[in-house]
Amino acid sequence: MMSFESKNLFSFPVNKKATILLLSVVFFFASNAHDVFAQKRFSKSYPAGENIRLQLMNRSGTITVEGWNKKQVQISASLEKPVAQIIPRYLNGTILINVIQDNKGSEIGDTNFDIKVPYYSSIDIETGIGNLNVSNVQGGLVRAHITTEGDIRLINIGASSVSAENIIGDIFYDGFIQEGGIYSFRSMRGNISMRIPFQSSFRLVATAPSTRNISLGSFASAGMSLVGNGRRVVGKVGSGNASLTVTNHRGNISFIRR
Amino acid sequence: MNCEKCQNLISVYIDGDLEAQESQAMQTHFSVCAECAKLHEDFASILGFCDKTFTEDSIPPNPQALWCRINNIIESETDAELATEEKKQEEVKRNLFSRIWNSKLQFYPSQIVSSFIGIALISSLLTVVGIKNFSAPNGDQAVTAEPTFLEKGLAKIGVIETPQQIFEHKLKQRRAAINYWKKRVETRRTFWNSQMREAFDRNLNVIDKSVSEYTEILQEDPQDSISSEMLDSALNEKMELLREFSEL
Repeated sequence: MMSFESKNLFSFPVNKKATILLLSVVFFFASNAHDVFAQKRFSKSYPAGENIRLQLMNRSGTITVEGWNKKQVQISASLEKPVAQIIPRYLNGTILINVIQDNKGSEIGDTNFDIKVPYYSSIDIETGIGNLNVSNVQGGLVRAHITTEGDIRLINIGASSVSAENIIGDIFYDGFIQEGGIYSFRSMRGNISMRIPFQSSFRLVATAPSTRNISLGSFASAGMSLVGNGRRVVGKVGSGNASLTVTNHRGNISFIRR
Repeated sequence: MNCEKCQNLISVYIDGDLEAQESQAMQTHFSVCAECAKLHEDFASILGFCDKTFTEDSIPPNPQALWCRINNIIESETDAELATEEKKQEEVKRNLFSRIWNSKLQFYPSQIVSSFIGIALISSLLTVVGIKNFSAPNGDQAVTAEPTFLEKGLAKIGVIETPQQIFEHKLKQRRAAINYWKKRVETRRTFWNSQMREAFDRNLNVIDKSVSEYTEILQEDPQDSISSEMLDSALNEKMELLREFSEL
């Protein structure tokens, strides 16, 4: 009995201390975790005409650009710590955001952009590392460039000048080939997939020197010829008004009918 | 006063620098000594002449006018010399022209034919060089075909560059640029975070793999146009990667 009482008397303060200690540890980690995973948000809107041009240079992070039926550009970004400085500039119909220039010499975390633009905008985006997604854009130019690695997805694009480049990562183009347009897709390692309408008309130079895997699908015809032991396919589809160049150094190229 | 002392003092006497007493003694001696009187007369006349000449000729009446006169004389003489020189040259030219005009140019048919062939060859060479130089700036053109015999010949004498040489030259420039950016990247690398460094190394490794593959193929077959083009493209990618990362 004596021992029971003494055990109870002794054990209660120990449990209390332990609980307090545990709570303080949990609180400490929770507060730190908040710091680690905290994201800042950036948001800005611009009234815009239909033919606006967006030029964005990012250091790391995903960029998503989507065309919408509004005469307005809406820029949203989530910034990971250390937070980057974003200073958009609006000059002569061009919205320019240069995260690299504005944060030169300082370490910054990923900056993930989500931008809405009018349908007929021109888009010129690039990032050091990260994915690039552009959809529903019908303006004159779409250029997506990743300095190192990341996937590029260009969906429902109607631009007459399209260019996509990365080193490691897949490129997927799902859009139209305009008459007289220039289309260039280049990757060092990854798969390049082209989903274009069957009625498209273009001159094709597709090169996959390492895999020699160039799948023309429905676009295979007598007008196409293999060059350099199957490393390159050259030919014309339709009247061949547009120019389509696809180069994949160490990956596959495939064409799919839209 | 004796003759010796008198003759010693004659010039001082003529200048009027003697004292009155001595001057009187001189005059007395002249009246009694015909020889000294004659010497005095001669000295006086010489000095008088000298004085007259000096005052008349040593100072020109109008120095500016005199200088103008001298200048005119010099100029007229120089003009005369130049005119003579020109006349001589004109004469030489006239002689040469008349010699050529009057000479009978005689060419043999073989000489005419060979000169025509020579002109045709030179003009065709110049055309080829012109075309080559015109198409050379197109950097995307890779080694396409075996150079022709004419191209090889011209390349050997250094008149033109073969596509192969152009390509090699371009590669050399690319490699020099890559080395430059590589050095800059090395200095910036410490400022990147680990994620950046890993990504850079991974991507550079992929490019380097391709570069070494294409280089190997080209060592076996230097005329492989696709590999040349791809090597150029891969080196360009590498340069861009280095350049962009050197600015981070």
